[in-house]
Amino acid sequence: MLSDLRVLELSAPETMLAGQTLGDLGADVIVVEPPAGAAGRRLEPFVDEVPGLERSLTWHAFNRNKRGMTLDLGSADGRALLADLAERADVVIGAAGPDADPLEIVAVAAERNPRLVRCAIRPFARSGPKSNYASSDLILVAASGSLGMSGDPDRAPIPFPVPQAMLEASGEAVIGVLAALVARERTGEGQQVEISNRLAALLPGFGQAMVIPSGNQEPTRSGGTLSLAGVQIPSTFVCADGYVVVSIAFGPAFGPMTGRLAEWLAEEGTVPAETAAVDWVAFGLGLMTGAAEPEPLRSLVEGVEVLCRRLSKEELAAAARERGLLVAPAMDMADLYRSLQYRERGLWAELEIGTTGRTVEAPARFGHFSDYRIEVRRPAPGLSQHTVELLRDELRLSPTEIQSLYIHGVF
Amino acid sequence: MAAPLDGIKVLDLSWVMVGPVSARYLADLGAEVIKVESTSRIDPLRTLPPFKDAQFGLERSLSYHNLNAGKKSLTLDLKDPRGRKVVLRLARWADVVVESFAPRVLADLGLTFETLQRERADLIMVSTSIAGRTGPYANQTRGVGTNGAALAGASFLIGWPDRTPVGPFGPWTDSVAPRFVVPSILAALRRRQQTGQGLFIDVAQSEAGLQFLAPAALEHATNGTIPQRRGPTSPHRVPHGVFPCRGEDRWVAIDASSDRHWQALRGGVGGALSNARYDTLLGRLRARDEIERLIGEWTADREAVQVEIALQELGVPAHVVCRAADLATDPHLEAAGHLRWFEDPNLGRGAIEGPRFELLATGTVQTRRGPGIGEHTAEVLRDVCGYSEEEISEMTSQGVLK
Repeated sequence: MLSDLRVLELSAPETMLAGQTLGDLGADVIVVEPPAGAAGRRLEPFVDEVPGLERSLTWHAFNRNKRGMTLDLGSADGRALLADLAERADVVIGAAGPDADPLEIVAVAAERNPRLVRCAIRPFARSGPKSNYASSDLILVAASGSLGMSGDPDRAPIPFPVPQAMLEASGEAVIGVLAALVARERTGEGQQVEISNRLAALLPGFGQAMVIPSGNQEPTRSGGTLSLAGVQIPSTFVCADGYVVVSIAFGPAFGPMTGRLAEWLAEEGTVPAETAAVDWVAFGLGLMTGAAEPEPLRSLVEGVEVLCRRLSKEELAAAARERGLLVAPAMDMADLYRSLQYRERGLWAELEIGTTGRTVEAPARFGHFSDYRIEVRRPAPGLSQHTVELLRDELRLSPTEIQSLYIHGVF
Repeated sequence: MAAPLDGIKVLDLSWVMVGPVSARYLADLGAEVIKVESTSRIDPLRTLPPFKDAQFGLERSLSYHNLNAGKKSLTLDLKDPRGRKVVLRLARWADVVVESFAPRVLADLGLTFETLQRERADLIMVSTSIAGRTGPYANQTRGVGTNGAALAGASFLIGWPDRTPVGPFGPWTDSVAPRFVVPSILAALRRRQQTGQGLFIDVAQSEAGLQFLAPAALEHATNGTIPQRRGPTSPHRVPHGVFPCRGEDRWVAIDASSDRHWQALRGGVGGALSNARYDTLLGRLRARDEIERLIGEWTADREAVQVEIALQELGVPAHVVCRAADLATDPHLEAAGHLRWFEDPNLGRGAIEGPRFELLATGTVQTRRGPGIGEHTAEVLRDVCGYSEEEISEMTSQGVLK
């Protein structure tokens, strides 16, 4: 869909998914790294837990559908070559911080190429408070409001084991870049797109920033357990071979599913018939007004606990499908790869893991389209894999010039 | 410069989070967005907190305003064939249609992409759901974002090894899916500008969520292991984590694992951290428990924000683990103007979030409040659909517009 676009990505952890999403949608993406390799290549996990520049599974996860080159942007030649490439590009994406702003290098190109869309991802802001803050993924997740609400309340909050802030930034960057490209179709001009990583990371906080200004009290951490009329309602339950997430909710939209859950529990004998006879649609409102007693809710939760322990993830998932319940197994990665739903939808595609000679299935498709299919056209590039080809074919440098640049460490 | 989506028309048939968030991005970019609601089928988002001044009310939910900022609301009874006719007329008007109905509802309503595309060949339509619109379980899988997190693998991965996993905060996949829905819509709009083609887009929340966990998937596929929950510790970095501060459930995040940051941290904190055994990363990894204890002792006496400021002055990555009150007074958020205030006839003054990106030349439109339920019904029927006053009165008395 974006096959007419040329994107230059100045690699940083925050840019990886942005470049890949554009590549997945068909753009010609070139990722530019320092000669010693991008920081993204040093992120765990590694193939067989043995690290190496071609062995980072995070690098492989977020850099397919790109060609890769190296350039020393600290050298005059490196900067000049980048500017030349940017003159011929539609988009440049880079991450800027208090120490460096790689996009300053392309400012020159922007003058020569007014159609260029330049996207800068910054940790907090270009200027003002925290603009010179030292940052990392953990720091941004902490600043986002979602970490402060995570984990069991009697212990420390728990971040994701996979860094998230860098992905949030990439998500916003793709939106900003594509919006600028839509504008460009009309105006003929590119522009600067600014992404605050911290603002991007606020989205999974689900509006925490609005709570106090709207006259509410600060919520306390609950570890996913809802407390209603003295009844503790966990969201995750132990089952025979793992865990299952069960949503117990009321009202017209979700109450009927709670009703069907109660019916099932009664059939299985883990709640009395009275529990199944409750009007679960009206129950929430009833609890709030005092018209309903909490006892059926307690019975329901206990009934869920007892039944889940008897059943496997697969049995619970099947019952959820057959009966229309808000029940989902807490799938592990093996479950995901076994899932018929993911498989038949075409989520997986073959991905070569760089120079290891291995090919695995990657969750390559974030969406399905009526007349377009995301394909793995290329695996993540090897370090400097396409530098020579790009210098020769794009910039028309001679073999002597290319060798000279290499000899002098420009790539 | 005009806003990028100035003149683009969006019909938002979706509810709760993913669809509405996605449509709000389009509104922020200048599109005209009409949301179809019903008083007999209330958007659950209208019942989600925070409410203005903690008072429940279908027009008082800031969550609703936040995710529906700038849209118009039209009430229609979609079970009534006359209501469905209005939607068909709107679908003809719309460049983009967003929907998130439970499985089969769309077909029952006669509003599938195939049908709508006959009205408008260049239609761009988005279907968002937990498991997707195709596949053996598509028609049977229901869920909200917490179920999506379970199906995407996130719930399993977050928690303490000695306890039931706790999963991510909130309906997590609701916050991931829009990051893939919106780019798909924008790419389709751009293609349509060039070729006139429409597109049907099917995004499953579970599949979108998995994208943000792709390294864990590849770890399983390549190494044959099953990634497990491990608490807050990063096995490869010390110090890197959250440390307790003064007060109830107050924490600061510190990442001083690199050489440079470690030297700066211990230079500022001093004391037992100056021990030569901790000079090297290997030394720190081997003395992890001691170092974490020592830093925790130092932070426990201090306010989280004092630790953040002191360490940032030393150039060390650190930040309060923010809760609602921290975000409300955060100097960066204030300076960025992230909260946008508005006046609303039902709740008075309210604040919602602004966009998370800046387009320096074109900008985004001013953030406006979300609509009251059915607030724009008459206006939309008259000005967008072209119904006469008589037709509108008739529909009202027949109960179609509720």
